[in-house]
Amino acid sequence: MRPAVLLTILGMAVATYLTRAPLLLALSERPLRPRLRLWLRLVPLAVLPALAIPMVLLPGGRPLLTPANPQLWGALVVLGLTAARQNLLLSVAAGVAVVAILRQFGF
Amino acid sequence: MFVYATVWGGLARQAGLSLGEIALMCLVVTAGASQFVAVPMIAAGAPPLAVIVTTYVVNMRHYLMAATLAPAFRGFPRGWLALVAHGVNDESFALTTARRDPAGPWFFIGSVVAVYGSFIVGALVGAVVGGLVRDPSRYGLDFAFPAVFLALVAVQLRGRGDWVVAGGAGLLALGIAWHLPGNWHIVIAGLAASGVGALVMRPESP
Repeated sequence: MRPAVLLTILGMAVATYLTRAPLLLALSERPLRPRLRLWLRLVPLAVLPALAIPMVLLPGGRPLLTPANPQLWGALVVLGLTAARQNLLLSVAAGVAVVAILRQFGF
Repeated sequence: MFVYATVWGGLARQAGLSLGEIALMCLVVTAGASQFVAVPMIAAGAPPLAVIVTTYVVNMRHYLMAATLAPAFRGFPRGWLALVAHGVNDESFALTTARRDPAGPWFFIGSVVAVYGSFIVGALVGAVVGGLVRDPSRYGLDFAFPAVFLALVAVQLRGRGDWVVAGGAGLLALGIAWHLPGNWHIVIAGLAASGVGALVMRPESP
């Protein structure tokens, strides 16, 4: 096991435990304030596109904002199918297939 | 759940994580979305602190679940509760709160055991199979990471405000990543867009 990866995993474990344990152990009957609840619901909705969009449009750190970017079409397929209430894994598989096929044709 | 874990295990193996690293992460982190997030960062050689902070932010939603579950665990020994806390996860939470009766602690614990087991076994099966595939980018498998993230967001978007927050975060992150090296665009754009959204949008009544 690589030391840096071991350190990363253990740090992830501590960080994650800190999101799970405190409020469960507090055993409070009082629900969280509505605006705090709203924020906690929005955080993953903001973090996930913040991750995904640069991965799709800046592959390897270089901008690729053209129709010749296979990942752009894969992303549109995933979003379209998921929005149409398709199964999540099915949408991902379809997006991956689109990217693989476009790459086969040299994009 | 099992399939989701298998996909993660396969992708993690292809991204260069060893079987031991994969098993350890499943045992001690046990949070699917953040593990999907961490794998490409680790593969790209991101500094541990960047991965850890990003993991924390991705998993902040657990606060919401823990606070909702807490009243059902009154009278539990605190030592046990500290152990149960590690099992707080999206699937068990959804199953427990979907029942008409108030969230039962034993129902929750049972589902945690089931989810935990299938997650680890699934990931290891995926890791072994994933180790057999050569040249993953030929099959578009590197794209599976952003694809999972986009699908996870798309199923959670409820109203127009959600779309604006998600789209704004994506564009902000794109702008930051364009000009700044490293991985901090994820945390910065994620916190900024969700923070503005929480200040501007109308909170639902609990």
